[in-house]
This record gives sequence, structure tokens and C-alpha cells, in this order.
Amino acid sequence: MILDLHAHSIKSDDGRAKVQNYCQWITTRNVPIDGFVLTEHRQFDFESDYSELAQKFNLTILKGAEVETEYGHVLVFGVTKPLTEEFDFSNITLKLADVVAAANKHGAVAVPCHPGRVRVGMSAHIEEHGVPEGVHIVETFNGGSRGNEDDIAQTMADKLSYQGIGGSDAHIVSHIGRCATRFSAVINSELELVAALKSGEFEALTFKEDAA
Amino acid sequence: MSAPLDVEALKEEFLFKVFDEKTFSFSGQALADYAIACGETASRYTDPADADFQAPPTIATSLQPGQRMPKGFPKVAGLGMDAGKAVSPKAPIRPDVELLGKSHMQDIYTKTGRSGRMVFFVIRMEVFDPSGTEVASADTSVVIREKPSV
Amino acid sequence: MTIVKLADVEFGVELPVFEPDTSLANVQRFGDASGWNSPRFTDHEHARKEGFPGALVPGIMSQGFLAAMIHRWAPGSVIENVDTIFRAPVIVDVAHRISGVVTDIDEDTGLVEIDLTLVNAAEETRVLGTASVRLPV
Repeated sequence: MILDLHAHSIKSDDGRAKVQNYCQWITTRNVPIDGFVLTEHRQFDFESDYSELAQKFNLTILKGAEVETEYGHVLVFGVTKPLTEEFDFSNITLKLADVVAAANKHGAVAVPCHPGRVRVGMSAHIEEHGVPEGVHIVETFNGGSRGNEDDIAQTMADKLSYQGIGGSDAHIVSHIGRCATRFSAVINSELELVAALKSGEFEALTFKEDAA
Repeated sequence: MSAPLDVEALKEEFLFKVFDEKTFSFSGQALADYAIACGETASRYTDPADADFQAPPTIATSLQPGQRMPKGFPKVAGLGMDAGKAVSPKAPIRPDVELLGKSHMQDIYTKTGRSGRMVFFVIRMEVFDPSGTEVASADTSVVIREKPSV
Repeated sequence: MTIVKLADVEFGVELPVFEPDTSLANVQRFGDASGWNSPRFTDHEHARKEGFPGALVPGIMSQGFLAAMIHRWAPGSVIENVDTIFRAPVIVDVAHRISGVVTDIDEDTGLVEIDLTLVNAAEETRVLGTASVRLPV
């Protein structure tokens, strides 16, 4: 099963895509993914219910978040109400250690994203802050990466024995599925996603050359 | 070293209040040059002699208020850059017509980017023709990279 | 294929790729017409002193490129909104390419949503845009 683990909808301040249009795009263009995770910036979207869309298009649509720490941006999968009460998702100066600890406490997983990117990626901050505790997975393929950012991410992941995931970081409809993650498990819920990530049975994929 | 901006206080004080009014007018040739440089080929945009000659639809984003920020707005250190622009044309803009642009602050928010904490200011200009009809509105997002405090 | 009416449009259809003229002479022409003729846009050396790789194509000009691309595809269309996000500078005298795809069609209102992406030769996204365009039903 292949999921794009990093996408934004109009719920994010810089997102321009409606979720329905993501679904229609994936179906019409035969994008080789089985679903996606909406990781809105600095928030968790409790309001939206995409179950009807998921059923209509036979896709898995899950929700996560993208928060901001001193190590850059971090995806959080398995967000629950109690987790959102542990720290302020809108705070752009979170401590990665606090995010990881809260995620662990509430059965979630924290994954630094686009780690090869200057300022908002983890790799650039390791020299200053050291190797963070508790990180096991990073995003090694990001659909918005420029230049050698994915190479930097992969090199860091190899060096620190992190596993890699892929996500498109789509903000517009046609960018969904540019990168994704293949799981050996079938995933239909955030709980199953967390379990699959913890199992280590996954690999990062990129379809960027296909999309270009 | 300037202190980080208190965004909530700024929103409270400045959002939605018109801070600038300015008039604009374009000659037919300027409109045609603008359109041709952008790659327009239809004569209603490129030929001032066309019976339906009008400005290209994105022109409202080129209009700049007389003052960039409201009076009393704190001076922000850093390099200001366009982060985005949205334009909604509502009626054709013709040459040599005096347009009135009214600007207000539509939103202020922060995020961290490739270059540290960034503050975004969204300034909306509503553009009116001499009859008072709104012919366009344009949002300009200006991002300023804050200098880190030490 | 030139688009005349809404029925000519299908979800997911790609607009013909548009290669905008980012030459210094064209940016200068645009600057003279629009008033956006700061040396940041018209002088490579000046822009480099400001820390940029070269003179910048004004964001409003990139937005104008997107609108022109839509008009070339559907000459009779009426653009209702163009929303652009500037991800990275578009450098003058550097080749760029714009692609566009239809991502929504509203049969009732005649509105079509289009994703627009301006990339450089390395396929790096410099400008993202979405547009709402009205076509005769």
C-alpha cells in the first residue's frame, strides 16, 4: 500500500488544494498511490471528516500535522485530542524533544520532514543542537525539495540509521503523490499508520521524474 | 537588535482599516506594453485601437499604495520580499481612466521558513473606477525575515 | 486545442506549456510600463549586491505570465482570480517553463480551476499558482 504522507489542503495558510480535487486528481491521472495524509501547518484539523470522500474514491485519507521546532519542521502522525493538549501546535518555537516526548506518550510518531532543507530541515541544525534523541524516521523524499536537499536528507538518514518516508508536500492539486511511502501493511486509520511506521516495514518512494 | 513583533497586538490595532488612498491611470500604450511583455497575444490586450481594449487582468497587483504600511506601524528590520499575490479582476480596466486604490491590512501571520522566522503581511487594495464600481482587488503578501534576537 | 467553451474542458487536461520571455529587455519593457523598474529587476550587478543570484523577474510579471498562458489556451476565458505563491526567485535571462492543469470544473457556474507551476531548467518550482477561470457554459 502506498501513501503520500505529507500533503496540505486549503486548511493550511499556503495550501490551495481542496481535498476532493486531490481525490479526483489521483483517480483521473492514475497517480500510483492509495491515499494520503493531510498534515496541515501548525494545527490539527479536528473539524473535517473525509470519510465519505475516501469511500467514494476508494482512497485512504488520514490526518496528521506539521509543526515547527528548533530542528525545523516535523510531521506528527497519530494525533489525538490529548496530544494536542500537550503542546501548542501553533507555536513556531517548539522543542523537538518535547514534541517527540509528547508523541511517544500518546502513541504518535514524530518525523522530521524535508531535513535537507536550509533552516526548516533537521540536518542544518544538528551541528548547533546535536543529534536529537528519539528520532527514528525522517522524510527522505519530499516533493518540494530543490537542488540536493533530498540527497542531504538521505545522507543524514544513512549516517544516523534513520528510516525514510516520502511525501509530496503538495500545496496544489497536481502535486499530490510526487513522493510517497510504500507499506507492507494495509492502512485505513491513523492508528494503523502509526503501527506501520513503528513496525519499520516501509520504504520511501519518489515519482518526481514521472511527474516532470 | 529589534525585538520580535507582537503579531496579535498588531492585528488588533491595524487589521481592516484603510490606511492609504491613491489614484492611478495607465495610457493605452503602457497597458499594451504590460500585456505584451507578459506574453498576451489577444488584441483586446495588446492593441489600443481594439474596440474592447483593456488592461490585462492581473494589472491591479502592480498598483502600489502611496504608503506601504499604516501610520504608526512598527518599522521592521529585514529584507522585504513578495511572498505571493492574488488578484481578482471584477470589471475591465480601460486606458486613461482614473482608478482609486484603497488599501488596508488584511492579515498578519508568522511562520518559519528556509530563512528563519518570517512575518507575513497581507495588504489588500480594492480598486474603484470613477463611478465607484470596484474593478479589482489585489492581495499582496509581503514577507520579512526577522533578524534573530541574541 | 483552443478552448472555446466549458464543454471543451476535461478534468486533468494539461494546458500547452508556456515558456515566458524572461530576457532583460522584456523585463525592462515590463518595468517601464508598470513602474516596477527598480534596479533589482533590471540590473544583474545591482541584484547580486543585494544578495540575489541575478536580477529578478518581478512577481507581478510572473503572475502576468500565468494569465497570458491561460488566454493562449482559452482566448475567450474570463479570469476571475489568480493566486500566486512565490517559492523562489525567478531570475532574469534564465529559461523557465510554466505548466498548467485543470483541477476542477464546476458545470453549474462555468468556473474552471487551474494549477500553474513555473519551474526552472532544474525542474525546481519557483512560482505556484492557482487560477479560477470562467468559460461560456
